[in-house]
Amino acid sequence: MNALLDTLEMALSTLRGNVLRSILTLLGIVIGAATVVAMMSFTEGLKVKLSTDFAQLGAGAFQVQKWPAMSFGPRDWRKIERRPDLTREQGEALRDLPHIQFVSIEEYPHQPEKLTTPERATKQNIDVCGGLPDYEPANGVTVAEGRFLVETDIQLGRRVVFIGMDIADQLFPGEDALGQEVRLRGVPFEVVGIAQRKGAVMGRSKDTFAVIPWPAYERVFGKSRNTNIALVATSPEDVPKAIDEVVAKLRRLRGLSAQDENDFDYYSNDTSAEMFNNLAAMVAAATGAICALALLVGGIGIMNIMLVSVTERTREIGVRMALGARRRHILAQFLVESVTLSLSGGLFGVLVGGALALSARELFEVPAQIPLWAVLLSLGLTATAGMLFGIYPAQRASKLDPVEAMRTE
Amino acid sequence: MSAVGEPLIVVESLHRHYTVGGEVVRALDGVSFGITRGEWVAIVGQSGSGKSTLMNVLGCLDTPTSGTYRLNGADVQGLTDDQLASLRNKEIGFVFQTFQLLPRATALGNVMLPLVYRGVPKRQRRAMAEEALAAVGLTNRLNHRPNELSGGQRQRVAIARALVGQPSMLLADEPTGNLDSATGEEIIRLFSELHHRGHTILLVTHEPKLAARCPRAIRLMDGHVVADGAGAAVAGLGTSAPVPA
Repeated sequence: MNALLDTLEMALSTLRGNVLRSILTLLGIVIGAATVVAMMSFTEGLKVKLSTDFAQLGAGAFQVQKWPAMSFGPRDWRKIERRPDLTREQGEALRDLPHIQFVSIEEYPHQPEKLTTPERATKQNIDVCGGLPDYEPANGVTVAEGRFLVETDIQLGRRVVFIGMDIADQLFPGEDALGQEVRLRGVPFEVVGIAQRKGAVMGRSKDTFAVIPWPAYERVFGKSRNTNIALVATSPEDVPKAIDEVVAKLRRLRGLSAQDENDFDYYSNDTSAEMFNNLAAMVAAATGAICALALLVGGIGIMNIMLVSVTERTREIGVRMALGARRRHILAQFLVESVTLSLSGGLFGVLVGGALALSARELFEVPAQIPLWAVLLSLGLTATAGMLFGIYPAQRASKLDPVEAMRTE
Repeated sequence: MSAVGEPLIVVESLHRHYTVGGEVVRALDGVSFGITRGEWVAIVGQSGSGKSTLMNVLGCLDTPTSGTYRLNGADVQGLTDDQLASLRNKEIGFVFQTFQLLPRATALGNVMLPLVYRGVPKRQRRAMAEEALAAVGLTNRLNHRPNELSGGQRQRVAIARALVGQPSMLLADEPTGNLDSATGEEIIRLFSELHHRGHTILLVTHEPKLAARCPRAIRLMDGHVVADGAGAAVAGLGTSAPVPA
């Protein structure tokens, strides 16, 4: 242990003596470690986001959409674009299916919106939804104050709105938001209910949504184009049966013949988990390839610098041997040096990768979360690269003849 | 440490042959002598006489082609690299013409180095190194690096490094060769002092003047011992220069 500490101390002092050279050499290693940490952070972030999104949907929930929510691999986007829109009528027709409990027909604008009062305004970050009372069970909404939308809101075309807690806080600080008026694209809406706070997931608030009745939505945004149908089966076990029923019904309603593909997409927890796993596997493979390449380049850099170091310090090696260093002492010294060099690059890379992931999350709202195992994995990989690529130079050093070595200039 | 007077080094018909470009060079060609504990012996000779080869063999840096070399009762020929390393570490203190200090290490760091390879704990290592540096008069230069020291000071650090492990002998190869005469004189006085304290010293040199100041000298020529006796006589100087007390 004592000997290892001594060796480590020697290694660090050598590296300190050649800071610039050490940094340049380590670029490959830094890239390798940063890639692992950043890519795995994005994968992990997506996993957390998906699992919270779906947990929010609740057990037994699934979705039907015109557009695929996530898609990997080649897809014919023009063909998807030509699909007929899903309509509210098609959604309403699903209510009679034996294994369907709730049908929430939802409409979303393409961009986030802004809500205003005469005094204040929110940022342009409100997710507005035109919906029906079934939105509440299908999306796992819990009412904190007031009420959710009811059937009469729809029938009478009332301009009412159910809002997330952040909106209430921003527009009516220190006041009761219930009964107050907010404007959406200039159209006044009365706040009838506020949702319980859900908090933020990976820096993104879950409390900036607003739900308005379907007819009011169409009055503000025009005829609906982007209908999304969220369904809840009679029980979680009934989801496969419910999906079969929904698919069959929609195919009939949309006039598809037996050999046509579905012209809509559906997602349940299971299908999204499967898709996520496919994505994660692809990201892992790509990361693995980049990382292997970077570590190879970095490792060759390390081998090169260590060979230079051995040449430069031939005299020192000779002196150490004369003073009683055994071959394995020299071997250990240079191995510890290359591992230390590589590992410091790995540490730096972990910081770079982590910073990359977190700043992408803050700046572009990309889901990211740094998993500890990815940090440990990249440190382990860089240490291994340092070890493997350090063996040859270290062996060369340890095989020097002390008399010859001391004679070199 | 055993008492002064016991045989420390026994060399019998030592041969060391090299093959250079297909030709056999007999660097040592049957060398025999003995050195007892506490002696101060000069090994003199022209360059090419074999004295460097002899120094390498006596320093356990090289092994003889044939013949016997016994150091402190142990047969050196046939030892493994690791055994030789440990023998060098324990029995021999090297002093080189070019000092051979590690440039990045401080005086203290350089002196502690042999103890690192002996596995001495750090605290003890430091205490021993400070003591050794004090013994060569460098108490106030502990944290200086070699390039911050004068030639004479560097050689003193090297001598402290040679002494720190309390070896059986000091092996000095032209220790004044890179120093001006005044500084060289200081170093020789230091050796003389160490000799009087009971250290065994082997001094390899080509300077007759230096050899003359040693109580005993061995002259090598073409790989053979051609003279072995009082320093002044072997050095071939008419009047023997007095050895400083």
